Amino acid sequence: MKQPFLSFDTKSLIKELGDFNAKFIKGAGALTEIEDIDVGTAEKELVYQEDKLTLWRYSRNDPSTCRTPILIVYALVNRQYMLDLQPDRSMIRNLLNLGLDVFIIDWGYPNKADMYLSLDDYINGYIDNCVDAVRKVSQSKRVNLMGICQGGTFSAIYSALHPQKIQNLVTLVAPIDFTTNDGLLFNWSKHINIDALVDSYRIIPGDFLNGGFLMLMPFNLNIRKYVDMLDVMEDKEKLLNFLRMEKWIFDSPGQAGECMRQFIKDCYQQNKLVKGELKLGDQVVNLGNITMPLLNIYASADHLVPPASTKPLNDLVGSDDKTLYEFKGGHIGVFVGGKSQKELAPAISKWLHERDGVAENAVVAVEDETAGTETAPEAIGETAPKKPVRRK
Amino acid sequence: MEITQNYFETWLKTQEKLFDGFIENTKRTQQLFLSQQYPGLSGNANGFNNLYSAWSSAVLKSMSEAGGNSGDIKDNLTRMLGGSNAYMKLCEVWLPLLKAAQERSLNPDAYKDYIDPSKYKEIIDKVFGFDTDATKLMLNQAVQFLELVSGSGQQFANPWIEATKSSVSAYPEFMQGHPEALIKIYHSMFNAFDNTVGKVFHVPPVGKDREKFELILRCFDDISVYAAKNTEYQHAIYITGLGAMDKVVERLAEKITAGEEVKQFDEFFDVWIDTSEQSYFKLFQTEEFAKLQGELLDAALTVKSHFFKVMEMYFSDLPLALRSEMDDLYKTVYDLKKTVKKLEKQLKEVSQ
Repeated sequence: MKQPFLSFDTKSLIKELGDFNAKFIKGAGALTEIEDIDVGTAEKELVYQEDKLTLWRYSRNDPSTCRTPILIVYALVNRQYMLDLQPDRSMIRNLLNLGLDVFIIDWGYPNKADMYLSLDDYINGYIDNCVDAVRKVSQSKRVNLMGICQGGTFSAIYSALHPQKIQNLVTLVAPIDFTTNDGLLFNWSKHINIDALVDSYRIIPGDFLNGGFLMLMPFNLNIRKYVDMLDVMEDKEKLLNFLRMEKWIFDSPGQAGECMRQFIKDCYQQNKLVKGELKLGDQVVNLGNITMPLLNIYASADHLVPPASTKPLNDLVGSDDKTLYEFKGGHIGVFVGGKSQKELAPAISKWLHERDGVAENAVVAVEDETAGTETAPEAIGETAPKKPVRRK
Repeated sequence: MEITQNYFETWLKTQEKLFDGFIENTKRTQQLFLSQQYPGLSGNANGFNNLYSAWSSAVLKSMSEAGGNSGDIKDNLTRMLGGSNAYMKLCEVWLPLLKAAQERSLNPDAYKDYIDPSKYKEIIDKVFGFDTDATKLMLNQAVQFLELVSGSGQQFANPWIEATKSSVSAYPEFMQGHPEALIKIYHSMFNAFDNTVGKVFHVPPVGKDREKFELILRCFDDISVYAAKNTEYQHAIYITGLGAMDKVVERLAEKITAGEEVKQFDEFFDVWIDTSEQSYFKLFQTEEFAKLQGELLDAALTVKSHFFKVMEMYFSDLPLALRSEMDDLYKTVYDLKKTVKKLEKQLKEVSQ
């Protein structure tokens, strides 16, 4: 005969609570021994800067095997070092090891002086200047553009407006069709008075956005995660892994109000990108102008950007060569999951190598069209620390 | 329900034997930790919780005094404390059921009688970051500030403060399933409004300060809208939490029919987390909730916006750069930067 299912053993219950407290005390002790949480440690050099934006090129020990450099455009929300969170979970390092010449944009942290920056400024201004800087530095006529999440939406828009500068477009978990209500954020955003939000804050605080993200799974993200964390705290490496992710999650830059206003209103609320009605400056964005090869990667269990929002891009572009790639995992797993390390970077690299367009993308002198300051690599002493700094 | 009944009866008998040992063990453990007389198991887990609270406060204090750690570590410890505190609170909430079982007073059809609604509310508050004290403080300060700048005397502020207190104290009643509590809150808010702003609306303001006065009245109105919307929002959250508790009990009952056992609190914790998450996901998916959330945000932003306007009016005589003036400055700098960048590009094109 089976025992009653709720037969809490008194001794074990007491022990359980005692253990919990003991783990907590030990864990807090372990936390106090960590002085710094190192992220984004792959060596890189600054090649261009404009306002708060910086453009970095990752260092290589050997020549790239792909002629066309790849420029990574991350979302304005959160920070781009997610792609190099730690050495053994680094899409950047994987891409470098697979022979790519990798550049990445760091948007920086906007303050109120940036409140008027618009979608047009970000895409036709900053991204365009970075593309030109990469073309010039790498002496390449075109670049491979890889956009992530909101950066993927920006990259798709950019590629539609400047197709002549893009060799291949890669989008990762990028929201395109905003009519879906599969994701809570999509549903919630439709009821936000974005004018009031922007007029009130000017720069939308990162904490405000984070509050929304935490609301997606409040019990797991506010309680279980930290209770589970107690189990790994005695292992310093595991604790550091946890802390790196935490650092990234809560390292949320504010959002320039005007850009946010247009993005929410035109995309989330009115779906203008898909309708072909989105305007940047005096240009209308037509996704049909994307004629270069497209690799569109979505995550099957993405609760932030559901597949229903990502997949339609392939039906909207004018490209003949387009690939829809399903990654079995969630939004964050795409970048840091163990499976991702083995699967995704090799797939992207292979796809790009196969479309390197040697003849079309021959080495050429690129006109200097950038508006910011190009920086000679040797003049920049700023490289990421190579080793974690810890206090004993 | 019959299955649930059977489960509780079986459980009751089992717990009867175990509870004597439980109390003794708890006493000993508490004494070990606290080095003081155990206060007795009086339907809660204050012993554990007090110990935990005192310790966590001490750790946070020492960390903030030490100053040697990065902000990230401190923030993380704070979040860890929050999560762990909720875990302990959950344990505290469920212990009265065990005690009721021991005393053979547990009625499985009315398990909520053993759940302290105020304690359960504390858990929900932690999960969703509701800070009742901060809300009270914010509302009180807002009203007091408006009272100060309006010079209208204490009649304005007091009804609001009282209404706020009344609203907050009524929250636990929601948890006991009293819909009249919500009505009570709205009555209290309405009366407060009627006794202050409502009356003033009938007095036509005159003179050069009319604009200021109207804006101040608007702020009072904004706060009432926000408070009511916030109540509605929190009510939706609490009621969903209560529904989730029902489902937790149902799921536990389902487990017994499947012949499973739940021996550890951790297992119960997992059931509670998963069930609660599912319940809230269903709520969050609804159009009604999305709309309510949007309205709450809008109400909060309206308060903020008008409050800033009032402040600007009163600070305009001081040697300070006001927000609206800085906005103009930022716009000018933005336009100039854009022009310079455009000209630089053109110059480069011409020179090549």
